[in-house]
Amino acid sequence: MPPKNKKSKETVQDERFQAIVLTDSFETRFMPLTSVKPRCLLPLANVPLIEYTLEFLAKAGVNEVHLICSAHAEQIQQYIEKSRWTSKNSPFSVNTIMSLESRSVGDAMRDLDNRGLITGDFLLVSGDVVTNIDFNRAMAVHKQKKQQDKEHIVTMVLTKASPLHRTRSHIDPSTFVLDKKTDRCLYYQGIPPVDGHKTSISIDPELIEDIEDEMIIRNDLIDCHVDICTPHVPQIFQENFDYQTLRSDFLKGVLTSDLVKKTIYAYISDDSSEYAARVESWATYDAVSQDVLARWCYPLVPDANLIENNSYTYEFGHIYKEDKVILAQSCKIGNCTSIGSNTSVGEGSSIRKSVIGRNCKIGKNVIIINSYIWENAVIEDNAVINHAIVAANAVIGSNVTLSPGSVIGFNVKIGDNKHVPNNARIVENPIVKDEDSFDSDSFNSDDEETHTENQVPHFEINVKDIDLVGEDGVGFLYVSDRDLEEESESEYGDNYSGIIYQMKSLNVSDDSIASVSDRKAKKHHSHKTRRLSSTSAVSTDFEGGTFSDEEEEDFAKEAEATVHRALENNHDLDTALLELNTLRMSMNVTYHEVRLATCEVLLKKIVEFVTTGTLEAKDATTKIFTHWGPMFKRQVFGGDEEVDLLHILSQKISKLDKAYNQIILFFTVKILYDLDILEESNILAWWKSSGEVADEDLQEAKTLTAKFVDWLQEAEEESEEESEEESE
Amino acid sequence: MPNTVTGEIRSIIDPVVSSLKRHQIEGDKDIALAISHLLMKVISAARWTNPYDLIDLIREVGTILSSAYPRKIITGNVVRRVLALIRDEIETEHNENANTPMMSSMFSLLSTSNNENHKELHKQSKKQMSDLRSIIIQGIRDLVDEISNVNDGIETMSVDLIHDNEILLTPTPTSDTVLQFLIKARAKRKFTVLVTESFPNYIKEAQNFAKKLAEHKIETILVPDSTVYAVMSRVGKVIIGSSAVFANGGCMSNSGVSHVVECAKEHRTPVFALAGLYKLSPLYPFTRDDLIEVGNSGKALNYDDFKLVDNVELVTNALDDYISPDYIDIYITNVGGFAPSFIYRIVLDNYKTEDNTLE
Repeated sequence: MPPKNKKSKETVQDERFQAIVLTDSFETRFMPLTSVKPRCLLPLANVPLIEYTLEFLAKAGVNEVHLICSAHAEQIQQYIEKSRWTSKNSPFSVNTIMSLESRSVGDAMRDLDNRGLITGDFLLVSGDVVTNIDFNRAMAVHKQKKQQDKEHIVTMVLTKASPLHRTRSHIDPSTFVLDKKTDRCLYYQGIPPVDGHKTSISIDPELIEDIEDEMIIRNDLIDCHVDICTPHVPQIFQENFDYQTLRSDFLKGVLTSDLVKKTIYAYISDDSSEYAARVESWATYDAVSQDVLARWCYPLVPDANLIENNSYTYEFGHIYKEDKVILAQSCKIGNCTSIGSNTSVGEGSSIRKSVIGRNCKIGKNVIIINSYIWENAVIEDNAVINHAIVAANAVIGSNVTLSPGSVIGFNVKIGDNKHVPNNARIVENPIVKDEDSFDSDSFNSDDEETHTENQVPHFEINVKDIDLVGEDGVGFLYVSDRDLEEESESEYGDNYSGIIYQMKSLNVSDDSIASVSDRKAKKHHSHKTRRLSSTSAVSTDFEGGTFSDEEEEDFAKEAEATVHRALENNHDLDTALLELNTLRMSMNVTYHEVRLATCEVLLKKIVEFVTTGTLEAKDATTKIFTHWGPMFKRQVFGGDEEVDLLHILSQKISKLDKAYNQIILFFTVKILYDLDILEESNILAWWKSSGEVADEDLQEAKTLTAKFVDWLQEAEEESEEESEEESE
Repeated sequence: MPNTVTGEIRSIIDPVVSSLKRHQIEGDKDIALAISHLLMKVISAARWTNPYDLIDLIREVGTILSSAYPRKIITGNVVRRVLALIRDEIETEHNENANTPMMSSMFSLLSTSNNENHKELHKQSKKQMSDLRSIIIQGIRDLVDEISNVNDGIETMSVDLIHDNEILLTPTPTSDTVLQFLIKARAKRKFTVLVTESFPNYIKEAQNFAKKLAEHKIETILVPDSTVYAVMSRVGKVIIGSSAVFANGGCMSNSGVSHVVECAKEHRTPVFALAGLYKLSPLYPFTRDDLIEVGNSGKALNYDDFKLVDNVELVTNALDDYISPDYIDIYITNVGGFAPSFIYRIVLDNYKTEDNTLE
């Protein structure tokens, strides 16, 4: 046992070191398999994922583990009760917390805070972490930073990789801006999935103002979501009820917020033998499985036999076999393969870079490459399985071909001579049929789907596809709303197989995506759900136009309602901004849309004042924009955006009643200029570009403003002259 | 075999089993000590009326322990030493009680029913049992002493073996025994030590090892692994540490050592292997898969380098090497120096053949 962590002097902390495990990821990346089993119980190299996490915690010297379960909570609880972790010899006590209402990490953290379980610094991990890092070193860094910096709340444990590394998340890769000397995290930005395009991150200059030394921007880190947190963290979630995710909301929020003056540090492991990764998509499932087989995560390897009754032994070439495996004499077992007990492999079959579960039957001349066959599956003769997943109890008929990326669900039967296309996901029961059992809905819907989305199955296409599974087959093609997004993400990598890191094959998956996006657009009118995770919404930008438009309209309505409420109830500026920002993040739209909505509402209000005769156009504009104009300060960043704002305003104002629109435009521009939201150079730029637009209404509306602009121009020229004179 | 490991015993051994599995106890000596302390606890906690029940129990515990870290042969060695101790104790008691002449014990060795006889004979009183218990525990204490002071016995021979102005080479910088051996020799002799870099697994250890030697005013040179053949012509002796010694005279050592001894053989340079008595095992080496631990691939190839990681078919980082007896001239143990061919005899002195297989 490692020595107990020394108490640091000033923080009188509990003897016990707690760990919070988020068993739920609140995402749907493993659908449809997660509709039956929670993610953390999916087998990775024939060991449930949660075992790897718990093993890490045991090694880290944790005394008390709280598992936060929401979807499939009962399954997890049952599993834990039966496992060795609840025996009295367990290195820590395990406690499952039922948090059935949680729909996001944020909810779970708030629930945690309400329960008041946290007594000191704790370790926050998700239930899908596979790592062998020396935690004591990370803890020492945490302690040291805490002594140096009283505001320190989180130490993130990160490992080095390269930007396109297979184990790195390709769905939401992220960039960390760190202080070079202290590893203090200054900024965090999720970037769009790796798709070969260039992406950019924007950093608020204010954030880097007070940096004394150099800073580094890193896009090569594996973030496995292992955080050492102080008890402040749940509190911050509590205070900021709009935080949903740990990284894009919480981390970014804390770092950019002026109110929460807290600091976050990163611990970057520099030992090449330390490995850390999260299984968060099919792509990483594949990568992490291969890493575990290839002993990158030593001593967390199959022959460590994490589960009590496992009996794996190692053979050279990274082959792991349990006892009672029956291999035909002529079969070939290639490198990096693991085979569970009581499995038989027929004559002439070849298996490489794959994991085969227990009690599987593999026929003759079967070829299995880079695939994952879970327990009790039957693969009949001459089947070819390439980069696919076959879940427990599935039957694959003879001469079947499973193409890369296909996922065969639990108990599915694929008839003889079938060809399963790329990325097809087949489930036993169409999920829509389960409607009547919706009382227990969160169990058959996926762990990550939100409540509103439980209604989504109405619109899922679940055809019993005889073409796909054959006459005597059992199974339905799984296509869900969410799934479609996933599919489109697969363009960048969700394609679970190795495809992401082989850029050249990207085109292959393009066609299939085009066809699914069409279908999606058609049924999108019923899509009412609010996206909870901005990460998954990122992909929407890359989809068909219909979809994005819809999204924007949705946002426009919501945002207008928000601003309207703020005006009516006279909210303070910060609240209104916070709400807008949350909305923006959850919908993942640009600031342009935010400005559009804000302008719309403010102008409406002015018109209302004028038409009801409460105020003159001039007074109304002055009143509204002096009070609410500062909102733009947090919506407009940089020259281009200022010009954009002016365009929006002038367009909108020009559509108003000609009797007073000149006045409104003039005062709006003037007030925004006085408030320092607009710079004169940008006003001039706008003036120039809008002059080219042949819109009569617009030109007319601008007459009064022209004077103002002239004045600005003169003032500028004067000042230029002055400066010239001075220089002379 | 009846399941004699009760919950109580289980709770004693489980923490050790899991820390062995997690590789939290590293170092042969630490493992040997942990196991002997564990067995001491088991023997004092277990309830037994017949010493043969105790033997069954210890065998079962031994099976569990060795499956926790199958490639550490030392766990099995310690368990077998304790078993031999118990059997010896039974033997002497039996001789005292039955007052049988030496002759009959010779006969009993050959007769098949002797075990039954023993069992019946050993319906002993409680007092005798508790005596036996304390005798066994005392025996284990002696074993612990032996393991902790293993270096003393080996060190004493160093002056006889190392000459003045000799150049030595050691490819096992992880071995504390080798370090103490050299430091002790320095008291009377002046010599130079070449230490191999031991890439990739033990670079840090090699540097620390060289540093410690230098602190003791031993002229130390750290050489790359690849230069071993080139420097071998100047080397007077190769000194290796070993992690286990088999009954055939072969031994396990760090990876890279077999290449060093191959070079030594080419140059007819003598190879001395240092090993504590507890490293001697009654087993014979058969398959490499059962002997060689394969470690973290990240040490051999940096995981950051994803182009290589993706495209390389296999990265294997073996941690151990098996050295066949032909390459070793003398084993230096705490009970003296022996030729590899003589190891089987010492094994017989310390272990009972009944316990060669624990299951």
